[in-house]
Amino acid sequence: MFALLTNKYPGMRVWLSQRITAVVMAAYVVLLIIALLMLQPSDYAAWRVFAGSTVFRLATLLCFICLSVHAWVGVRDVLRDYIFNQTLRTYLQILVDLLLVAYVVWLSLILWGL
Amino acid sequence: MKLSIYRFDPDVDEKPYMQDYDVALQEGDNMLLDALLRVKHQDDSMSLRKSCREGICGSDAVNINGKNGLACITRIADLTEPVVVRPLPGLPVIRDLVVDMTQFYEHFNSVDPYLKNDDPLPETERLQSPEDRAKLDGLYECILCGACTTSCPSFWWNPDKFVGPAALLQAYRFIVDSRDQAQAERLENLEDPYRLYRCHNIMNCVEVCPKKLSPNAAIVAIKDLKIAGATVNNQDKPAKKIFGIKVG
Repeated sequence: MFALLTNKYPGMRVWLSQRITAVVMAAYVVLLIIALLMLQPSDYAAWRVFAGSTVFRLATLLCFICLSVHAWVGVRDVLRDYIFNQTLRTYLQILVDLLLVAYVVWLSLILWGL
Repeated sequence: MKLSIYRFDPDVDEKPYMQDYDVALQEGDNMLLDALLRVKHQDDSMSLRKSCREGICGSDAVNINGKNGLACITRIADLTEPVVVRPLPGLPVIRDLVVDMTQFYEHFNSVDPYLKNDDPLPETERLQSPEDRAKLDGLYECILCGACTTSCPSFWWNPDKFVGPAALLQAYRFIVDSRDQAQAERLENLEDPYRLYRCHNIMNCVEVCPKKLSPNAAIVAIKDLKIAGATVNNQDKPAKKIFGIKVG
């Protein structure tokens, strides 16, 4: 399975990574809803305990890393379809890459700065 | 019956325009092609392709009220007037409703749409079990009318690189044929990021196919086979382990 994510499969790699990240995000949303229904944090202190747990932090970080990969593939396709000027497209792609990395760093700061 | 037909003659017209027609139908005029032929009778400068007039040859695929279909099997009774008839979208117009399908056929050729088998020719035919033959149902019926490919946004965006639903359906038709020996080569031929993977399951192909086929199902099946094929190819190699857990 992991061989499919290597250079040997340039088409499959991108397609499969978007599918895998989608599954991870879907699982995260379902688990989050279940966790919230079970714990039902009612006040600020309870929410802090919930959001401060290592499991929540790691799962949320994983979900957003997947979101970034997923969005990277999608936006890359959109740029390739609509931006025909190669230089402009490269700059826009770099901008998107930096933004996505920045979002993940920002999220990490939020999660661990609690 | 009122029709609005796309007109363009590159020798005369600077740009395309829509021309309105009002034709009197006669008994037995049930399909849109009958009405188009009445128009042709009234104005013989209007060009269209047609041949078998019964949904087998696929030559009269046009865009009817915004949806691709075969004029010969589209019932007039099901259409709202004025019926807007345009050439298939996404292909260069040669004249009026006639499009240049060269690119469509090039993609078709690129998937090698013929049986590859290096075994010596048997005395009679190459036999298949009924189960293997059944795998070709829903694939071999394609008449290459181009309705699906020209309704696919992925094809509009990348007509030179994305193979398109019709050719991918044909690719799968030979990939699953038990008599074909080039499955791995055929799958490898579709590995480029554009040829196969530009399909985003928009499903326009399934909606418009006049033969009620599902190119999308074929495309999904090709992707599944590629995953299965890669897994089989890697079975002989030592398993990769991360922290003692087998991962690949």
